[in-house]
Amino acid sequence: MRIHLRIWRQNGPTDQGRFENHTVESVSPDMSFLEMLDTLNETLIRQGQEPVAFDSDCREGICGTCGFLVDGQPHGPDPCTTVCQLHMRRFKDGDHLTLEPWRAKAFPVLRDLVVDRSAFDRIIQAGGYTSVNTGGAPDGNAVPIAKQTAEAAFDSAQCIGCGACVAACKNASAVLFTSAKVTHMALLPQGQVERHTRVLNMVARMDLEGFGPCSNEGECEAVCPKGISLANIATLNREWWKATLLK
Amino acid sequence: MKVLQALSTSTGSKILVALTGLAMVGFLVGHLAGNLLALFGPDIYNEYSHALISNPLLVPVEIGLVAILVMHMGTAVRMVLRARQARPTRYAVKKWAGGASRKSVASTSMIVTGVLILLFLISHLWTFKYGAWYTDPTTGYRDLYTLLVEVFRSPFNVVFYVICMLLVGMHLRHGISSAFQSLGLMPRSWTARILRAGAALALILGIGFALIPIYVYFVL
Ligand code: FES
Repeated sequence: MRIHLRIWRQNGPTDQGRFENHTVESVSPDMSFLEMLDTLNETLIRQGQEPVAFDSDCREGICGTCGFLVDGQPHGPDPCTTVCQLHMRRFKDGDHLTLEPWRAKAFPVLRDLVVDRSAFDRIIQAGGYTSVNTGGAPDGNAVPIAKQTAEAAFDSAQCIGCGACVAACKNASAVLFTSAKVTHMALLPQGQVERHTRVLNMVARMDLEGFGPCSNEGECEAVCPKGISLANIATLNREWWKATLLK
Repeated sequence: MKVLQALSTSTGSKILVALTGLAMVGFLVGHLAGNLLALFGPDIYNEYSHALISNPLLVPVEIGLVAILVMHMGTAVRMVLRARQARPTRYAVKKWAGGASRKSVASTSMIVTGVLILLFLISHLWTFKYGAWYTDPTTGYRDLYTLLVEVFRSPFNVVFYVICMLLVGMHLRHGISSAFQSLGLMPRSWTARILRAGAALALILGIGFALIPIYVYFVL
């Protein structure tokens, strides 16, 4: 297949940036989207041009490193799929695709399709941990947790922190990410000690980083490669007002 | 001070908008119930409006409602401005996600419908609350019924009101269920029901209010 790409190119954080057109020839439908970009980059390098910068690591949809918009959709058109797991068979020969980085004040573009997501790390540092000293690894099932609770906590813990929620949200809100962590910890006994300070500090950090407020539209859930549910946000809101009242 | 600080966070703002919004929905339910008395003729309608106007609690309640409205709008405007700042560069191409998303025309136009409803509210108070004062000769009460009929003799007013009620319905279509989400009162097993109930109440309020001008114009 032949794919026409309109890619955002930006030399550095202070560069204005612009779109650049490239055509990738002989794309196999079995290639992943990133492999297709690898092919493009090999050609660019051979021609003595700068390759397109994009993030990736595991390439199997579990690490959350990759991510950009494919034709206006974070991680592309497939539900519950990271862009590294998106395959070219999803597209047609001769398709024109626009590739853009996540856009948010809190996620400054570093280069081309790569953004700085350390704001997420700072939200986690604000409360996404337990400071209980647990010593060595505890015996399995030493702390009894109901099956449903464990499952629900795991659903929230699946968040890979890719930032697609922020990218999709019209307000560039990070509340789905933050709420996944808050919910995960609030459900488990280990998370109880810092339960109230956690939610307050994480929300405060989120605001400080310059993420926008939530409009309850749920575009975030729809684009999330892990299908993190809006129910997490409802939980965060509830945890937040409880913590505020009890503080 | 601590409360103000808490309410100025993004989550606090949402909760404030939700609480004030739901309070106004409560007011609308009462307002609609009262309005529908017009369908039962002038006596009962004027009796009801007199009971309201002459109630000493009216002024404090009105002040409360204005305060709620101001808080709702002020917080919403601040959130919109914050959202603008959060994405200084717009996307060249951006599509709606579809699927599980609750994004709708209503949810994307909340600030627009909100501002239009405010303008409507001013004109509405001007027309009725501060409008012509007719007196019922037998009871001596204000004859709001005659004013109502007079206003909705004009097809222009009827169309204007129906369109405005459509906007109210649209605003509430996203607003009601969104408020429950903001307050965290949306357990997974209830989500679908709350979304449907919110949309249904929005529809009932929108159609209910629109019915009165239509009834007056076509039936009376
Ligand atoms: S590279 Fe790890 S999720 Fe895509």
